[in-house]
Amino acid sequence: MSKKSDHYALLSLRRDASSEEIRRAYYDAARRLHPDKTDSARDYELFLEIQEAYQVLADLKKRAKYDASLPPEPAEGDLIRQNILYSRQEVTRTREPQLIYVLLEYSAAVDESSPSAPPLNLCLVLDRSTSMRGKSMDVVKATAIQLLRRLRPEDTLSIVTFSDRAETIIPATENIELKKLEARIQMLQTSGGTEIFQGLESGYNEVLRGLKESCAAPTRQVNHIILLTDGRTYGDEERCLELARKAAEDGIGISGLGIGNEWNDDFLDKLASLTGGSSLYVSRPQDIQHILLEKFNNLSQVYAKESTLEFKLSEGVDLRYAFRLQPEAGLLPVESPLRLGPILKDSDLKILMELILQPPGDQTEIVSLLEGELKASVPTQPYSLPPIRINLVRPVSNSSGLQTPPEEILQALSHLTLYRLQEQACLEVAAGDYTKASQRLQRLAIHLIEQGERGLARTALLEAENIQRKYEFTEEGKKQIKYGTRALLLPGQKESPA
Amino acid sequence: MIICPNCQHKDFSGALFCSQCGAQLMAAVSSAMPSGLRQKDPMVTISSNVSTSSTTSKQKTGSKPAPSTGSAGEARIILHLLESGQILPLAERMEFSLGRVSEGQPIMPDIDLTPYKAYDKGVSRLHAVLRRVKNKIVIMDLGSSNGTYVNGNRLSPQIEHVLSHGDTIHLGKLKIQILFSPDEK
Repeated sequence: MSKKSDHYALLSLRRDASSEEIRRAYYDAARRLHPDKTDSARDYELFLEIQEAYQVLADLKKRAKYDASLPPEPAEGDLIRQNILYSRQEVTRTREPQLIYVLLEYSAAVDESSPSAPPLNLCLVLDRSTSMRGKSMDVVKATAIQLLRRLRPEDTLSIVTFSDRAETIIPATENIELKKLEARIQMLQTSGGTEIFQGLESGYNEVLRGLKESCAAPTRQVNHIILLTDGRTYGDEERCLELARKAAEDGIGISGLGIGNEWNDDFLDKLASLTGGSSLYVSRPQDIQHILLEKFNNLSQVYAKESTLEFKLSEGVDLRYAFRLQPEAGLLPVESPLRLGPILKDSDLKILMELILQPPGDQTEIVSLLEGELKASVPTQPYSLPPIRINLVRPVSNSSGLQTPPEEILQALSHLTLYRLQEQACLEVAAGDYTKASQRLQRLAIHLIEQGERGLARTALLEAENIQRKYEFTEEGKKQIKYGTRALLLPGQKESPA
Repeated sequence: MIICPNCQHKDFSGALFCSQCGAQLMAAVSSAMPSGLRQKDPMVTISSNVSTSSTTSKQKTGSKPAPSTGSAGEARIILHLLESGQILPLAERMEFSLGRVSEGQPIMPDIDLTPYKAYDKGVSRLHAVLRRVKNKIVIMDLGSSNGTYVNGNRLSPQIEHVLSHGDTIHLGKLKIQILFSPDEK
């Protein structure tokens, strides 16, 4: 242990935690670190420390004495800074429901003394079904080898391939004989179908193995599965999603790279979002390399991982939509806890929420929208940090005067609106409302033209026609529009080929 | 409730963009429209000899959002050439003639459709004209040989016909879909 531990930080508690909160935090930690559960020496050490911490904190007298001995509590902004923007300064006293947008921003308060990135524990899960033959497989092999060569001694990279069944090509070991591993990768051959669950499960097991073998506590590593696929999986989607939930709880993220046009984007988006990971569209095989390397770079830039927002909505408030704008754009499932993904050193985490509020009561002066806590762990810090409190409230005003929303919210929304037009068009096609869907895509095209996105606008118009004629999207057009509009959300980045 | 000036959809108050058509709902803050901020690729016309030089500069100003209500002067018409999929935004002028340039003839339509196989499709040299009249966009056939059709109905020459967003017009056999920018009725 580097420094004398703070009992509160050890149990990820705030100093004003109630006895009940202390008890719960202790039991959670004790269950996780119990010697029956784990045989890591470090976990045992931690286990002893939380015993000690609990003995002090559970006793009111001892706790008071301990509190007095503590240096002042580090401000919440010491490790992660939180910034909240609202689309309006006040809500209106009205008889109708009203919308309010909230932009949450979290940035790393980078500590000069800990410049090194946390160790990575990654697993590449590669689709080797017949359809990957040729260029796709060649690029995947070359990129995997490139990744292997970039690893630092403390990193772990395992590789699993799958078709109808999974095979571990490179297990999560630490002693890497580079030449041998490269040869194994080169030998990969394509055959068979696509059963994602097979690969995902093996990948998950490898990441777990990676946790145990490096005897650092799991919170110190960045654990991630990167799934590359070009096909649809049939019948095992639910099992995959189940596994993703489990992975999220174990602190393992999943990101998906979909290659070409045949893969199931809705499925991959969902799979990734359950863990705070991201989904990426690779339209041409030659793009696999830079997209995968970029993903790898992002993971190396992780400052705080598994940031999770646990929240409770106030009565009369609904969260209609939540979207991560940065560092990797993606729709978030509207449920607590919201898994937001990592906060990178060089890129803030930005979440945009759309809340709908029922009319406030006549006497209400201040409405509360949402209360919650952001939890995250900073791997370079010895303990997980205390949760960051978030409390969204707005005063109520009688006038409904024009309020200028912050520029940042407008900017984000002007792009997000395009993504949502696309979403609605997809829903309309699914519902058989072809005329509406087609009109919506035409509107989308006009907005895209206005923003200088001619290629994408053209794709949207072609799809509008397609829907009228064939009553469906082309797979290619649908993905290009979806991920193309999504890419517009990222500053200075372009995903759309077209 | 907020009513979208573009598509009349009723949205919750507090909405900033119409959930139906994507139009920005708050005119007062239109300076934040990305098209106004992002200067890249301002409406440059596609690779064709459509009078680029005369239109681009005007189109740049046109890419800025309209202040408050969409007056006719700010409207933008977009031609979508159905066969080739190409998109031709038009600048804020009051009138455009559509046709094709032919060698040795001094006739110069505002929009030259030669690159879109106008000759093969039977487009006359001066085929039709698009015109702004108050808040409306109208089309008028200029006595073309093969006629102008709106949604399949042939127009009588020299008589104005009001166009709606999404109408398909035929100049001879050349099919063009007419799209209006969001602040246009």
